[in-house]
Amino acid sequence: MNQPVRPDVPPSPTPYAAPPHGVVGQSCGRLDGATKTTGAIKYGADLFWGRAELFVKVVRSEHAHAEVKSIITSEARAVDQVMGVYTHNDMPGTNLQGLILRDHEVLTSGRVRYMGDAIALVVAESEATARLGADAVQVEYEPLPVIDSIESALAKDAYPLYKAGNIMGGKRIRKGNVDEALAGAAVVVTESFETQSVDHAFLDLEAGVACYQDDLLTIEAPGQWVHEERRLIALALGLEPEHIRIIQPATGGAFGGREDISIQIYLGLAALKHPGKTIAMRLDRAESVRARHKRHAMRIEYTLGAKSDGSLTAAKVTVYSDEGAYASTGPAVMRKAASHATGPYRVPNVSVDVYGVHTNNNPTGAMRGFGACQMAIAYEGMMDRLAIKLEMDRFDLRIKNLIQSGDEVTTGQHIQVATAVECAEAAMGKFREVNGGLLVQPDEAHLRRGFGMSVICFGLGYGDGFPDCARARVAFDDAGKAVVYTGGVDVGQGLINMVAQVAADELGLQLDNVRVVAADTALTDESGSSSATRQTYFTGNAVKLAAEEVKEELLDIAGAHLQLHPHEIELTSGFARAIHVPGKEIAIKELVAQGKKRGYKLDQQAQFKPGTLCEDFDTGQSPRSFVTYLFGAHVSQVLVDIETGEVKVERHIACHDVGKAINPQAVRGQITGGVAQGIGMALMEEVISKKGRILNGNFTDYILPTIKDVPHVECIVLENTDPGGPFGARGVGEPPLIGAVPAVLGAIQDATGTAPNILPCTPERVWRMLQDGTNA
Amino acid sequence: MFYRPDTFAAALRLKADHAAAIKPISGGTDLVVGLNRGQSLGVDVLDLTAAKDYRRIDHADGSLILSGGTTFAQLEQLDIACLARAAASVGGPQIRNRGTIAGNLATASPAGDGSVALLALDAEVELAHADRGTRWLRLIDYFEDYRQTALGDDELISHVRIPTPSALQASAWYKIGKRGAVNISLVCAAAARFLDGRICLAFGSVAPIPMRAVQTEKLLQGQPLTGALLHQAAQAASAEVKPIDDWRASADYRKAMCAVLARRVLEQLQTDDERQMP
Repeated sequence: MNQPVRPDVPPSPTPYAAPPHGVVGQSCGRLDGATKTTGAIKYGADLFWGRAELFVKVVRSEHAHAEVKSIITSEARAVDQVMGVYTHNDMPGTNLQGLILRDHEVLTSGRVRYMGDAIALVVAESEATARLGADAVQVEYEPLPVIDSIESALAKDAYPLYKAGNIMGGKRIRKGNVDEALAGAAVVVTESFETQSVDHAFLDLEAGVACYQDDLLTIEAPGQWVHEERRLIALALGLEPEHIRIIQPATGGAFGGREDISIQIYLGLAALKHPGKTIAMRLDRAESVRARHKRHAMRIEYTLGAKSDGSLTAAKVTVYSDEGAYASTGPAVMRKAASHATGPYRVPNVSVDVYGVHTNNNPTGAMRGFGACQMAIAYEGMMDRLAIKLEMDRFDLRIKNLIQSGDEVTTGQHIQVATAVECAEAAMGKFREVNGGLLVQPDEAHLRRGFGMSVICFGLGYGDGFPDCARARVAFDDAGKAVVYTGGVDVGQGLINMVAQVAADELGLQLDNVRVVAADTALTDESGSSSATRQTYFTGNAVKLAAEEVKEELLDIAGAHLQLHPHEIELTSGFARAIHVPGKEIAIKELVAQGKKRGYKLDQQAQFKPGTLCEDFDTGQSPRSFVTYLFGAHVSQVLVDIETGEVKVERHIACHDVGKAINPQAVRGQITGGVAQGIGMALMEEVISKKGRILNGNFTDYILPTIKDVPHVECIVLENTDPGGPFGARGVGEPPLIGAVPAVLGAIQDATGTAPNILPCTPERVWRMLQDGTNA
Repeated sequence: MFYRPDTFAAALRLKADHAAAIKPISGGTDLVVGLNRGQSLGVDVLDLTAAKDYRRIDHADGSLILSGGTTFAQLEQLDIACLARAAASVGGPQIRNRGTIAGNLATASPAGDGSVALLALDAEVELAHADRGTRWLRLIDYFEDYRQTALGDDELISHVRIPTPSALQASAWYKIGKRGAVNISLVCAAAARFLDGRICLAFGSVAPIPMRAVQTEKLLQGQPLTGALLHQAAQAASAEVKPIDDWRASADYRKAMCAVLARRVLEQLQTDDERQMP
């Protein structure tokens, strides 16, 4: 009523208007949703039907550590329908693989270092005969001592697995003066944590086909980075990359588990040896668990010092990480662990030493969280312990120490937009909506209810100076549809929708007027891996930049048609419209047709390569370790049976600042899935092995959470614009898992009065912890 | 060969004729798991799922007679607490729709949830032969050693007999696993109290066979279930079981849990009067 009278003038047009006005921010259905629902889309193993002519089976080591004395293949070759048996002698290239160090032979020539090492490859006319052939390969081993734990690897007289010994390498942070600060601290808390080996356990097992024809090796198998796979396959097989084409089939989950090469080189070798034939290979669950890399088990020793008012003064952290037999992405995981050792907290004096230790366990590499996950368990566990020692509220202690915008994280990088406090307050606010956050204890004396919280941060992208670039192409096809080309891989997380929605929004189109060509090295440019929570930020930006170029062309075409300056036109809902003149418009489809006749390309490429800076090796400091940081906070409520040790998660709240949710439903899906995986890691998932032999390599015994173990996840999505992200978006992939685990552990501590420090918190571990005050 | 007779009599004939050379299958929750792990069956298969007369539940003489092919999904519906709850704790809905009580008994896993509940109910099992006819055994005499039972190679489990709810005063069940469903028991316990005053107590995953805690039961016979007696029984149960260490759980934990679970299931059998007693 008392609103000021506004002059009746149109708003000033801003050509640089960033806010989305179309499909970005809408929960559009998946473009591949219908075909995934009906089963029409083809996953790796679906490619066998009607195409597979020859099948591959790999002979894997029977020992966790041994010298291979001889490989006799004559009997295997004699098996009916076996078409070929190949060993390291048949490898045309370097025979080496590995994402960071090329330290892992594709087919072992001398020494096997874990039970997944491959020794020979059998090609046959059926899977059954390939298996018979594999069984007939005779391998003579000379067993060597097996190093099956960090402790045994570090023992004084430990057998050296490599010439340089059992320490693979390390990373460190040095900031301020930790010893002095700890000596002067009012309170000091020390604890050690042990995290476990975890399997990625995606449902879509490794499977694919390959064919070598006309000097081109085509491999269709699920990975996470088709262009890097092409490079690695080329090296191992001695081919030029341009003679290899990698096509990603539909993929059901990855979580980092497809980053290391799985079946692609075997498929490639078999295809080279049998030109013109379509080769097929798949792993069953047992082989997948046995052969593939895992999450690093870590031993983390943590000392945290604070003033009597709770201000953190110093953190001294030593981490031993089980790297398994080969490096995989271990060096990068160690760096991520080091740079996330104090999480989202202001700690002026920090000393971190991370050591990678070789064992004869499975190689350990990328998995959702990538080292930052294990550190969050430690730093959040320390905050809970410190709060108890200080008799301070856990929430207040965290708020007091969380970084604010402009503060620096442990690497010295200043964070432009730090929203940790906002996340923490939102998550706790949601928790307090029920009964003011006061828990009602059950009547049964053996049941205890408690809640825990976590606040986490996560550096997005590869970081630390590693080249990180996304490329994209946006073009209109002859039917007038916009086509987005990206080398990025959709592993189920929704990359296809993400790029389509970004392009559609930029071009003013509905989603059904966009289609996506993804992850085919012959058709798309390199866009980096689907990992490091990077695709929305990186490829999203590249797609937006390419679409902006096309948009400029469209506006020029429209300007001539509508007799307006391009700045006076907007693209929306499939039309180019005069901003100030109602009804003056032309369909974009029509513009495309006109433009093509007038010689416009309507086909643009762009790349996004923001760059980071390598850390100082002595101090670990870098002014720009990561392009941006993500923040999140969780609150978890559990019910613990203190007599049996059983834990049930009753409520779980997860708040994540994603910058901008390109597709809110997809974001909530990622958060919910991350929480489920986090509950699994906190309570039940664990690869159990003895002397390098995995004992629970199946889903009966490798315990994944079911729907009965995961409550409805209460998602809070915050959208504080990231200055560099597409439409202000950051990403969401990894942080939900990272936040979930420590919140569950904190809840167990709250319920029982005893803080767990060994994962997972199975009933027996919790029981034992309550018996003797530790779950060792 | 894969046989799929449509009557139980035909199935019995095949089993008698082929003996160990044919393996019965219903839910397949054991055989198929083995196949998935690359184990070869090496024998013919006798599919019992087409035998409609193998899924019946009948009442007779104060007893409930279950056909061997009764599924866990059917057992879940019974008005017998320990059996219904044990059945409901087996696998997930798909497994419960396929898995049968005869399969559970024939496999004789020490962790067989159905077996443990039936032991507490002091059930009897009927073993049938096409020519020799049938014989009834108490379940306590049926389990012999690790995965060894009284079931002959040429026999099938035809029926299981349990007391009807009218003969039962109360029964109880508790299972500890690592997750909320599709769960192998780390330890499970069942107890039943009959109208004649008898109490039976059984455990799973704490011995080579699903076991009755007969020593502990002796303590309980004819006594009111006072708090003191429950405590004593819990200790006795823990001492009586013979668990092993394996990677699923340690023997220590399993022994301790037997004490906890014994008390819990026996508490549920208490009358209101007994609950007041120290």
